[in-house]
Amino acid sequence: MQEMIDRLRSEASAATAAAGDDAALEAVRVAVLGRKGSLTALLRGLKDLDEAARREAGAALNVLKEEISAVIEARQAELGGDRPAASSGLDLTLPGRAPAPIGSRHPLLTVLENICDIFHGMGFSRDEGPEVELDYYNFTALNFPDDHPARDIQDTFYFNDKVLLRTQTSPVQVRMMERREPPLACIFPGRVYRNENADASHSSEFFQVEGLVVDRSVSMADLKDTVDTFVRNFFGASAPTRFRPHYFPFTEPSVEVDMQCILCGGKGCGVCKQSGWLEIMGAGMVHPNVFKAAGYPDDRYTGFAFGMGIDRIAMLKYGITDIRLLYENDLRFLNQFRGVQ
Amino acid sequence: MKISLDWLSDFVDWTDETAVLAARLTAAGLNVEGIEQINKTFPGVVVARVLEREKHPDADRLSLCKVDDGTGAPVQVVCGAPNVRAGLTVLFARVGAELPGDLRIKKSKIRGVESHGMICSAAELELSLDGAGIIELDTKLPNGTPADDLFGFKDTVLEVEVTPNRPDWLSHVGVAREVAAIYGTKMSLPPVFNAVQGGESLGVKVRVEHYADCGRYTAWGLQRVKIAPSPRWMQNRLLAIGARPINNVVDITNYVMFEMGQPLHAFDRGQLAGNAITVRRAPKNTSVQTLDGQTREVEAGTLMVCDEKGPVALAGVMGLGNSEVSEKTTEVLLESAFFNASLVRKASRRMGLISESSYRFERGADWDMVERAALRALQLLQEHAGARIVPDWADRHDPDHRPADPLPLRVWQVNRVLGTAVNTGQVAQILQRLGLKVQPMGNAESISAGAVNMMVQVPSHRRDLLMEVDLIEEIARIHGLDQLTGRGGYRVPGGAVRRPQDVARDRLRGWLSSCGYTEIVTSSFMEAGDHDKLALAADDARRATLAVVNPRHGGDTQLRTVLAPSALAVSRRNLNAGATPPLRFFQINRVFRPGQPLGRDTRHADEALLPAEHEYVQVIVAGWRDTGLGGLPCDLLEIRGTVEAMAGHLRLPLTLEAGTDESWLDAGAAWSVRAADGRVVGVAGRVAPGVLAAFDVDGPVALAEVRLDDLDLTPAPARFEPFTRFPAVKRDLSLLVPAEVAYGQIRDTVDSSGGPFLESSELFDFYRGKGVPEGQAAFGIRLKFRSPKGSLTGETVDAAIGEILTALKDRWAIDPRG
Repeated sequence: MQEMIDRLRSEASAATAAAGDDAALEAVRVAVLGRKGSLTALLRGLKDLDEAARREAGAALNVLKEEISAVIEARQAELGGDRPAASSGLDLTLPGRAPAPIGSRHPLLTVLENICDIFHGMGFSRDEGPEVELDYYNFTALNFPDDHPARDIQDTFYFNDKVLLRTQTSPVQVRMMERREPPLACIFPGRVYRNENADASHSSEFFQVEGLVVDRSVSMADLKDTVDTFVRNFFGASAPTRFRPHYFPFTEPSVEVDMQCILCGGKGCGVCKQSGWLEIMGAGMVHPNVFKAAGYPDDRYTGFAFGMGIDRIAMLKYGITDIRLLYENDLRFLNQFRGVQ
Repeated sequence: MKISLDWLSDFVDWTDETAVLAARLTAAGLNVEGIEQINKTFPGVVVARVLEREKHPDADRLSLCKVDDGTGAPVQVVCGAPNVRAGLTVLFARVGAELPGDLRIKKSKIRGVESHGMICSAAELELSLDGAGIIELDTKLPNGTPADDLFGFKDTVLEVEVTPNRPDWLSHVGVAREVAAIYGTKMSLPPVFNAVQGGESLGVKVRVEHYADCGRYTAWGLQRVKIAPSPRWMQNRLLAIGARPINNVVDITNYVMFEMGQPLHAFDRGQLAGNAITVRRAPKNTSVQTLDGQTREVEAGTLMVCDEKGPVALAGVMGLGNSEVSEKTTEVLLESAFFNASLVRKASRRMGLISESSYRFERGADWDMVERAALRALQLLQEHAGARIVPDWADRHDPDHRPADPLPLRVWQVNRVLGTAVNTGQVAQILQRLGLKVQPMGNAESISAGAVNMMVQVPSHRRDLLMEVDLIEEIARIHGLDQLTGRGGYRVPGGAVRRPQDVARDRLRGWLSSCGYTEIVTSSFMEAGDHDKLALAADDARRATLAVVNPRHGGDTQLRTVLAPSALAVSRRNLNAGATPPLRFFQINRVFRPGQPLGRDTRHADEALLPAEHEYVQVIVAGWRDTGLGGLPCDLLEIRGTVEAMAGHLRLPLTLEAGTDESWLDAGAAWSVRAADGRVVGVAGRVAPGVLAAFDVDGPVALAEVRLDDLDLTPAPARFEPFTRFPAVKRDLSLLVPAEVAYGQIRDTVDSSGGPFLESSELFDFYRGKGVPEGQAAFGIRLKFRSPKGSLTGETVDAAIGEILTALKDRWAIDPRG
């Protein structure tokens, strides 16, 4: 008996393995487990044995039956569930046809638009200004004194004494204030330029979003509120933020805004250089001299302004390690952002 | 800027550990970027005497020495220093000694001779930044004295980022003031030194040509100066903050500058011609040698310090070699002055020479420190250079100089700007901690709009505090920005408005990316030869570019006037990288065209100097070699289809018209894009083969661009029009068309002759080849007829088709097929 069981086991496994499609596999199943199958025949033959032998052989045959069922089932899975429906004969594994090929938005501009959308939702209007700017708007009207070391903070491309490539989106603030009386709440996204050599974290062209709010009594606490609302909406978590005093000629008081590192939760990691904080923007209260340049009467208004580098935020958000990838336009990079809105 | 905590502790006390101190300084605006622990020890290095020195038997430049390191038996050692000789007292690293840079001294064989240790140079022990040659020590030192006893030191150094508005933080005293303000403790300056001592009169007269250029100039005389290395503790502190010790006189001037912030300069009095120092502008361009050995061109108008013969220093920037303190110097004239910040900055920038001195002067010196720093230097020179101080000193200063006027401060405004609720007492206390003098005004406690609560006197080292808001920043810093809490739910004023161009751009980006185009961001610069490669005509306005006068090294200078080169560069890059065509890209970017009028409203008269900035949307299909309907290349069909669909998507009436005079497009495979008013607002087509070759692009490129800033991007409004519910009658025409007739001509003929009921005509087939006579093509056109009044009869439709066929026959000799 045992000999027969062993032979049946090896024959059934060989036949199962050889079955190339579902029909062949079904034939194997019928030949072994079917009503007239070889295993069924052996089970029928049990009644001819004495009781002890019958019990032993019965148990062995039942184990074999389960084994073979399992092998057939495994083979069935191997042959794949996605197969021509017997009824239609269509090959449903063939690739589909998209209504259009898949393209993508540039991650940098996606982040820029996301940021603008959040501020739009908070009530900010949007405007843009020229990239080739007057020294007046980029520096003088923003309270950068002529021949002052503050100008060294930003390496500038000049066309002549009066014309340059803007180093920041802040000049659009002044243009806006020249045109309109408060209350104002605006954002100014755009491309800016610095005369710097490119490396993994510097590019001579990059993007910023500038924000400006002016009204009769806007305070630094309101700035903090606004920043927190933005961080909550953009990063999706209420990561704490902190203000660190800093210096920008066109704001006073000036601060740098850090948020708790989103990667390590403030414990310290490689991205935040173990500090637990990530610098996300510069900000401050609009300097009275800027209001003066805009032609607003002394003391009538207060306001806040902030500015952030989009490249850095995009790099943080997507884990991009080299800023140059953003400007190489390599499809191997860009294709990774398909469907990213 | 580096701050030594050992040095800082001379002036102020604090109890926090370093990390906490650093965090509190950062929170107050002095950003601590790094903390460095210095622990200078020299295990195994001792004082030793060179007993014998002879030439190495096998190497000309090496010496074989025997030294006594205090252990008794002479030790044999090979030494490579040129200055080693018998009788010297040196620092000797025994076998097993550990030197900086993880160098462990082992017994070794050098050119066949055993060497049991190393005679050390200052550089090897990092006691000096250069220091070729071994150290020569005082011969009275006992052999075997550990080097640690002489040179070991420990310190902690903060690397701080000093913003340009805070020159006072460029000194240890300045940082000490901040620490005191943060902790509410007192700081102390070094005591004022009483300089009077025996000696002759200075005998030097000082003249300042314009006090606007130099508000104060003081000169101090020192005699019997002995030039030598400065004391070890001073060298250690200078080394700790990254300064290079030179000699006692120079080190002391530097030391006082890093300590008190006031740059000083020491002249060799013996080298100065005559007895007069004049501070004046250079009358003409001249050439000088600065004490760093460089020859520099000085422009007329640069502020100079001159003796009776000529310049001896570039005021506030650097001294000249002609009056430099050297080993032979015995008499010194010490300068401490207050130079005009802007003049120092101009001179420093023009010459590309930034010194510790110019860095401080251009940010603004401290008037009150001029005399005090000089006295501190005199004290140190007397102590450490054996100098004898001449009792008399020369001092010229602007008689009109006044301390800053007190600033009025309204506590109401403090709370208005910061959103805080501080009271007069808190404000006064913070300002006093910062060393500002507060004079209460009127009813000091009454906080209301316009009420001045106090007048604040700003000390000379805080001349960055010019107005009320500067004081408010000080209050914010010290009060603590972490105390600032929003009101919660602050809403900005005014309703947000979306401009049509922003909406259109956003929709375009979304739609194009959904159509399979990948967005690119390309540089605003173009390469020098791009216009030629594009075959632009010599008089093409786009050849006029703006060029930066200070490009990056090897960087492009011209701003682009055309987007095409960037499209070709991106196509080339990705085709070469093996991406599978067709490649589809789009960009919305600006070009810069000088000399074109601008529509911007602005107050500034110079606005006309700015170029026009035109924004284009550009779509690109690269590397597609297949042909489609009508034998047209697929890329061309898709580009045309994309422009048409884009117009539909934005609800803008854009039309394409065959032909363009754009030099870089293939004239036979390109269109002009026109707006509703007939203006050409863009082009579409295949890039000319010669241009592809010039840009080294392997494969066809079709592209279209439409100028967005020139279009009214407000979408045409949607308005419902009633439609007829009667059924349409469809008929297909199969035509044999002579090759010279274009589909557009057939379409126009069909549309004009089809009568009132022809609703639409559409090309659904095009065939040329077997079964169609040579020189002809078969067109399949589907016609749809419909009447608003009722169902059309077969006769009416037949009649209309008869009209169409007659017109086609008459006008173009077209027959129906078969």
